[in-house]
Amino acid sequence: MGLRKLWLVIERDLRMFIRYKFMLIMRGIWFLSQIALFGLVVNRMVQQAATAVGIDYFLYYVAGVTIISLYSTSMFIGYDIFEEAEHGVFEYLLTLPVSRRELVLGRSIGGGLRAFIYVGPLLIIVLAILGVANPLNMLIALASLFLFAFGVSGMSITIAVAMKSGDKYDILMGVLDALIVRLSTTMYPTFYMQRAMPAYAMVANFNPLTYAADLFRWGTGVEGAIQSNPLIGVLGLFIFFFSFTFVGVVFYERRLEGGSWQ
Amino acid sequence: MKAIIHVIEYDFRNFFRYRWFIAALIAMNLADLFISAIVFTQMTSIVNYFKFFAPGLAVVGLFASAFMIGREINMEVRREIHHYMLSLPMTRTELAIGRVLAGGLRGMLYMTPLLITNFIVLSFPTLPQLLLILVTLLLLAIGISGVSIAIATSTTSFEKFVTARGAVYYLFFFCSSVFYPLSMIQVLSTRGLWPLVAFAQINPLTNGSDLIRSFLLNSPEYRFSPLMLLDVAAFSVIFALVATFAYSRILQRR
Repeated sequence: MGLRKLWLVIERDLRMFIRYKFMLIMRGIWFLSQIALFGLVVNRMVQQAATAVGIDYFLYYVAGVTIISLYSTSMFIGYDIFEEAEHGVFEYLLTLPVSRRELVLGRSIGGGLRAFIYVGPLLIIVLAILGVANPLNMLIALASLFLFAFGVSGMSITIAVAMKSGDKYDILMGVLDALIVRLSTTMYPTFYMQRAMPAYAMVANFNPLTYAADLFRWGTGVEGAIQSNPLIGVLGLFIFFFSFTFVGVVFYERRLEGGSWQ
Repeated sequence: MKAIIHVIEYDFRNFFRYRWFIAALIAMNLADLFISAIVFTQMTSIVNYFKFFAPGLAVVGLFASAFMIGREINMEVRREIHHYMLSLPMTRTELAIGRVLAGGLRGMLYMTPLLITNFIVLSFPTLPQLLLILVTLLLLAIGISGVSIAIATSTTSFEKFVTARGAVYYLFFFCSSVFYPLSMIQVLSTRGLWPLVAFAQINPLTNGSDLIRSFLLNSPEYRFSPLMLLDVAAFSVIFALVATFAYSRILQRR
């Protein structure tokens, strides 16, 4: 497998990402309004409950919103794949002097990398707000977030190639987004999910967004008394990354055969 | 009048083309209520969050669906479908009024299951209260449809439309009492964000959701005031006129 060719595929996806400049601006506005408006106001509303479990809700929420941003930008790659199928770009990609495996792996890596590049500046702002309790923990957390971004990107590719209709993909993504974000600890601690509905907490315990959010909070030191075991998070994200990158690559590679995307 | 009804019918047919998309939106809204709101209820003692949020959710749904007309009009402007619209045997004003009304009515249709959910989980209003709720929400939906059309006709770029839509969404949603009580928003004043607090007070989404709460929550904190209706009516009239004017102008220019 040629690394140079792999890089060319990744570079193409990075360049394509810049085309979404208005979409990226919108995501930036969403991120800021989530922090500066929703976060501040809800912090006041849930202050007592947050103190009871030893967290500052505003900081807790800021970390969660960062993970939601990383998740949603990593999902973008699936939309690109659909657009390419619709506009006949698949055929062009197949004529390139890169193997299918390089093409597929490059897309998966590109999808995760560009999300990380986009979230990078936001991450710097967030780290300035949250601080870093332990640099080593932070490095482990960031490495895990890389796995998370690549895993989400692989998941997006898997779903995109498994569906024939762009509309259905859009709908499924919407529903998945609604459930995966809400049934995670990005917005509230598991303790309160457990109290509200034990089934919600159970789902959250196997949710990659929970692992990513909890690890990021562990890296910054904001989670306090309700910190879950970081090792479980790292392991969970590694399994998530490995399964979806592998499945995504195999699915995408198979779909390229015989024009089955048409 | 007949011409306006034809335009509304045209937009309703288009709306039903997205029925799966609409079903997914409703599913997302219900996930907000039955997951997030239930968890937040455990986290706050200031209000029963589930009961508080349910009326806000109906308004959020109304807003999102009434805004969809803007996406279609922006697409028509980009693909120059307005040439076909202009060939129809009706005046431009009839066409414009029809589009604004259709956007609002579609919002009402979408919001109906969410409002019924409110009645089931909170309480059923009396007949006069129900009529007042429906009139207020219809006015709100027409105003939102107007905002959406005004934005859609101001740009031929879909990306710019989507960005502007996002900015409007976040301003209207987060600076309102949809997600949290108005008293909680005061915290923003202490951080120099008082213009946002002032906006939250006159935001039609605040008045729309508080009006529903005043009838369904039976709480002394939420009392109906005619000013709520007046605020929503003013918003509706202003933006319906702006949208009619903007839509007519774009049809003439091209």
